[in-house]
Amino acid sequence: MRREVKVDPVSLASGAVIAALGALLLVDSAGGLHLSLGWMAVVLTAAVGAIFMLSGLLGGSGGKNPE
Amino acid sequence: MNDDTPIMPGPEADEPTAPTEPQPPAPDEAPTSEQPDEGRDRPRRLLRSSSDRVIAGVAGGLGDYFGVDPIIFRIGFVLSILFGGLGALAYLLLAVFVPTDGDPDAAQRLGGRLQGTGFWRAVGLVIIGILAIGGLFGLAGGAAFAVALGWGVPTAIVIIVIGALLALLAFRGGARWLIPPAVALAIGGGVAAAANLDFRGGIGERTYNPTSVASIPADGYRLGVGRLVVDLRDLNWQQYRVVDLSTSLGAGQSNVFVPKRVCVVATTHVGAGESEVAGDVNSGADVNHSVGTGASAAPRLVLDSSVDMGQLRVINSDNADINTPGYGPGPLHVDTAPQRAAEARACAAK
Repeated sequence: MRREVKVDPVSLASGAVIAALGALLLVDSAGGLHLSLGWMAVVLTAAVGAIFMLSGLLGGSGGKNPE
Repeated sequence: MNDDTPIMPGPEADEPTAPTEPQPPAPDEAPTSEQPDEGRDRPRRLLRSSSDRVIAGVAGGLGDYFGVDPIIFRIGFVLSILFGGLGALAYLLLAVFVPTDGDPDAAQRLGGRLQGTGFWRAVGLVIIGILAIGGLFGLAGGAAFAVALGWGVPTAIVIIVIGALLALLAFRGGARWLIPPAVALAIGGGVAAAANLDFRGGIGERTYNPTSVASIPADGYRLGVGRLVVDLRDLNWQQYRVVDLSTSLGAGQSNVFVPKRVCVVATTHVGAGESEVAGDVNSGADVNHSVGTGASAAPRLVLDSSVDMGQLRVINSDNADINTPGYGPGPLHVDTAPQRAAEARACAAK
């Protein structure tokens, strides 16, 4: 008998987006990159927009593995 | 509580006639002029008027209830709006929670719904919402502050860990409540990093008034948050024909004062805000501003200045008070034409 695993795709995708933002901030703070305020605004808006879009598209209950 | 329940105290409409209500005169009792007519058609409960109304019939209803001309209440509401606006709030509450004397209108239906769901519950939800939004702003500000204090790498690591945790928790049913705080942290940290916010120079107001070039620090003046004022008008400009100066401010206002006859050659950068050099104004995000480039006139100030977030002002004026509103932290917009003219004359001089 297979164990049922609930996956919340919104949390999964949002976590990936937020981790990517953190990585960008890490590179910027370490001096490997310098994003201007304008480009950072674009990146942040895109990230927030992606989270909203994913929430809208996948916003139902988490998926389930078939038995 | 149904929709028709009044908020204001008073007997219910279906109550038996109150004993204080004027009784019709007995057949053998002639009406006299002493008998008050106050009770003629005055309602026993406060209702909004459906016939005498300008907006929602509140003033009309109050006029009927108190037996006075509704215009008095209308004037009172308008005056109270002009003096603080409390009257508008009172009018709104009365419009929503006091029923009409006719068919229920939209305001009454809204009031009924609020009462049906529990008014205090609704108020509680609004307060919780405000606190939650305030908390998110606090998180964003905290992340920005941390990055501005030089803790960009630890802040980034915290955001990555939260993102990874969110992704891992997705396999345990999800933790969507973590998304808003994580996004707030990322936005605050990201904006601070992109704007190069640097609060390490301290916080407060710093005023410098050097009287010799030797007293100007080689690496210039620096402040984290607040107001940075450098007044160069006491320098002997006949002796120091060309003065180099650099200033750096994280967030706030940076002012440099020079005499009117000094030519300013400036290269400035403002992450977000306004740069005003000798009357020449440039504003927005990532503002790179150059003024007087190539001028060789003397006396001359060669300025390299930056403000991460806020306002930079270089002011050519012999008599401007550093605390005078307009030159200080007061209104941002002053007449800049005289400064531009002074700058043009100073830089054209040989």
